[in-house]
Amino acid sequence: MPETSPNVSLLIEQIAKWIVDEPDQVFVEHLDDDVIELEVAEGDVGKVIGRQGRNVRALRTLLSAAGVRARKRYTLDVID
Amino acid sequence: MDKLAAANRINEFLQSVVTNGGLHLKYRIVIDPPAQSDWEKPEIFVDFSGPDSTLLLDRGAELLRALELLAFEILRLPHGDHEKISFDCKNQRSIRMQELRMAATVAAEKVRQTGTPFHFAPMSSRERRILHLALRDQTDLRTESDGEGFNRCVILYPADYKSATTKPARRTLP
Repeated sequence: MPETSPNVSLLIEQIAKWIVDEPDQVFVEHLDDDVIELEVAEGDVGKVIGRQGRNVRALRTLLSAAGVRARKRYTLDVID
Repeated sequence: MDKLAAANRINEFLQSVVTNGGLHLKYRIVIDPPAQSDWEKPEIFVDFSGPDSTLLLDRGAELLRALELLAFEILRLPHGDHEKISFDCKNQRSIRMQELRMAATVAAEKVRQTGTPFHFAPMSSRERRILHLALRDQTDLRTESDGEGFNRCVILYPADYKSATTKPARRTLP
C-alpha cells in the first residue's frame, strides 16, 4: 500500500468546517511542537467541544491515531 | 434524512480521514443494509477493513466510535436519529452486542439470587439501550439508567425494589 502524506491540520480544519455554523471563521495552525491550534467563532466553540466534551475528545482520538502512523504525538488546542 | 447525501458526506469525511490522517483503512458504505438484528436497523452502514483496523478497535473501539460520533455531528443528526448510522469493523458491533446480552443474562441471575440491584459498567446510550431491550421481557426485574455523562449506567433491580430510599451497592460487569 503506498504511503500517504498525512496532513492532520487540514483534516481537523475540514471536520471543524463541517461541524460549525460559521465555517469561514475556522482557522487551524500546526505549531512547531505538533500542537494543532483550532480557532472557531465564539458561538461555535460549544459545537466543537460537544456535549460533555465528546466532540473534542473524538477529534483528539482521531489525532492520536494519526500520530501513531506518523510517529508523532499531536495535541489539539481549541481557542475562540 | 437524505440517505444518498448523507452517504456522500460520510464518504467525503472518511476520505479525508484516510488521506489527511494517513490511516491505512478501507471502507464500504451501504445504504439500507439488510437488518443486522431485531434491535438495530441502520439506514447507512459503514464497514471498515485494512491494516489499521486494529487502531479502530483498540481500547474498546474508541477510534471507531469517535469516527461514528464525528459523522453524527457532521450530518447534524439529532440524538434520536443516531441509530440510523452504524460504523463497524470486523463485526465488532455484533460481538459487543453478544457480550451485552450475556452480561444481561448473568446480571439477571445474580439479581434473582441476591434480591439486590446490579450496576452495569458505564456505557454509551446505544449500549444502554441494548441492555434495556435485552431485559425488557424479564417481568420480575426492571432496568433504569442512572448517573450523568460518561458515568451513566444501567441498573437492574428486582421489579418490586424500592430504589428511591436505598442506593444499591456498586458492582460491575465489563
